[in-house]
Amino acid sequence: MRHLARSIVFGFIAALLAVVPVTMAQDNDTIVIDFYWASAVEGNLPEIFAGYAETFEAQNPGVEINVVYTGSYTQTRDTILAEGDSPLVDVAIMLATDLYTFIDDSYIIPLDSFIEEIEDSEAWYDDFFPAFWLNSLDAEGRVWSVPFQRSTPIMFYNADLLAEEGIDVPTNNEELIAAAQALTTDERDGLQVPVAGTFPIWLFQSFASGYGAPLTSGDPTQVTFSGEATVQAVEFLTRLGMPVEEGGFGVGPMGGSAWGETPAAFLAGQAAMIYHTTGSLTNILENADFEVGVSFLPSGPAGEDGTGYAAPTGGGNLYMFDDGSKTEAELQAAWDWIMFLSSPEIQSDWGAATGYIAARSSAWEIAPLLSLTEEFPQYAVARDQLQFADEEFTAYRSVEIQNIINFELSNIISGSVPLSEAADVLANTQMQIDALLAETEQ
Amino acid sequence: MSRAITPHRRHIGLDPAPVGNRNRWSVFADAVTVVLALLWLFPLVMAVAMAFRPQRDPISVGSIFYGSELTLANFERAWNTAPWEWHFITSVLVVVGVLTVQLITITLAGYAFARMVFPGRNVLLFVILLQLMIPTGVLIVQNVQIMRDIGAFNTQWALMMPYWGSAFGVLLMRQTFREIPRDLEEAARIDGANVLQVIRHVYVPLSIPTYTAFSLVTISARWNELLWPLVVTRNPEEARPLTVGLNQLYSATEAGAQWGSLMSGTLMVIVPLVVLFIIFQRRFIESFASSGIR
Repeated sequence: MRHLARSIVFGFIAALLAVVPVTMAQDNDTIVIDFYWASAVEGNLPEIFAGYAETFEAQNPGVEINVVYTGSYTQTRDTILAEGDSPLVDVAIMLATDLYTFIDDSYIIPLDSFIEEIEDSEAWYDDFFPAFWLNSLDAEGRVWSVPFQRSTPIMFYNADLLAEEGIDVPTNNEELIAAAQALTTDERDGLQVPVAGTFPIWLFQSFASGYGAPLTSGDPTQVTFSGEATVQAVEFLTRLGMPVEEGGFGVGPMGGSAWGETPAAFLAGQAAMIYHTTGSLTNILENADFEVGVSFLPSGPAGEDGTGYAAPTGGGNLYMFDDGSKTEAELQAAWDWIMFLSSPEIQSDWGAATGYIAARSSAWEIAPLLSLTEEFPQYAVARDQLQFADEEFTAYRSVEIQNIINFELSNIISGSVPLSEAADVLANTQMQIDALLAETEQ
Repeated sequence: MSRAITPHRRHIGLDPAPVGNRNRWSVFADAVTVVLALLWLFPLVMAVAMAFRPQRDPISVGSIFYGSELTLANFERAWNTAPWEWHFITSVLVVVGVLTVQLITITLAGYAFARMVFPGRNVLLFVILLQLMIPTGVLIVQNVQIMRDIGAFNTQWALMMPYWGSAFGVLLMRQTFREIPRDLEEAARIDGANVLQVIRHVYVPLSIPTYTAFSLVTISARWNELLWPLVVTRNPEEARPLTVGLNQLYSATEAGAQWGSLMSGTLMVIVPLVVLFIIFQRRFIESFASSGIR
């Protein structure tokens, strides 16, 4: 027994010594691009990226892509920040909104000089959906990242239920309430908008813009979180879950539903309509045992013709890093890799594999995305809504301001703060935000 | 050893007390034990139930045990997200590689602090104590830099090296060795044993329960560690431990909570530890009871 244990231990040590040296000696002429990727969807993503790298390396002899999974977006950001003064990373997928986190104290670089080199660079730029560029631009209009895996919220509806009740798909907020009230029963919510929890700001953006008061509009020193339109947007969102006796619409859970549980509730028939991300499309289409309909988020009262369609965008972009030590050839190789990942072929493939929205029009005209949209027109609805889409919230002191907005929004939506006081709370919060922004400008 | 632990046995619920002696306190203690056991069991039961439910059923459809059907589809989805078999090999290597070295270093250091007299002993011990109070998270940036400097970055050595010394282990072994009567060591010395032989034949055999308890703590800590492997190893994906693979399922929040694949992935990762614990259950409980680690 003792000898057996001993040989097992020695066996392991021998195996350890045999397996451990995983770093291979590099050929000096080879350019190695360290590529960090983050993701928030399920799938065999390591294998997909390995495949992309292989294709790219075959097309670009002398360049090797070192594909590294760095965890969630937050973990990726922290990993890169932890590399400090001598970053290893060359190209990374980070949140589209990470620009102002990195612009001052890290090594991301603007991409304009590379974009100018592209043959017909204007056509290349315009091929991407304009909404997806918004988070890439700084105040001076420089481009800092290229859209890669993007998303936007859409409305999912249970088409069988709507047909049963003879209800048309709602296109604006009034129709939305009427439809949701007709669809609400004791066992079922008419509409679930997942704003419960710690991150209501994303979906709130569509309401704020729908009422004509977008939180931001391209200027990182300006955030709008008060005023009549904002108050109306907050009131509307809060009333969705408020019981009718208290002056609400009573069509969903008070305080909104939970992000993680909403698709499951929809699939189980516990919610007739939901707001959720395009990233859920694949999961919902695969698992629903009823006809799934997808539409634009119903419009708010903003806009000249009263059709204030609006939706934020989300997801990750490709960033490039240089601490000043890289050669031109290395930078060019990194840029080539970004061009490859954002090419129509890869965008089409990645979109079909993950459910993220392909970021450029031409990607939708080729396989596999083309056949997917033919089979499931729902994907095209999400794409078409992008013409109304807006940037995802970002500003100087982005994280702090987001936390403040999320906190105050949660308090109002959940009823901890009475709706009658909402206007005052928003005005106070605005002052707090303005003070933070003023500090940054100095 | 078994005699030494007998007084504890009733408290940890191994032997029912003789019926005649039962007083209301022992009944109360048993009740608390049962409640605690159920509380601890709850997450595991939920994980198993959710892992075998179809993805489209939220937890709220029917009860967790009926109103749904059984499926293995979740395991298939979870299995397809990462090279699990390689992750598994890496995790086992790391655990064995850390534990083997740790057992040697804590034994030698524990003996030195327990029995040897040398200048600066108390200062050194104090420094080691201090290290217990520093959360490992704050050292990550520095540790990564060290790994890069010595060329161990992105190797499995980097996963193990920071743990080869263990302040907790050293203190634990010091306390354990101090409780062993000096007479035994002196007897061995008279028979001509040198220091290493004394440690090997006197101290180690008498401290097996402590070693067992310490090993369990180390194994589960290294098995469950995410942040350090995520930061210090990069690729190939195969050379990273299980937690990195599992992290992919945990960060897949975009499409809402995918409880099915999340829980089946979690089960795949924890099963080896659970099996290990069940096999050595009795020995572990005795070790914890006698070594005082909780």
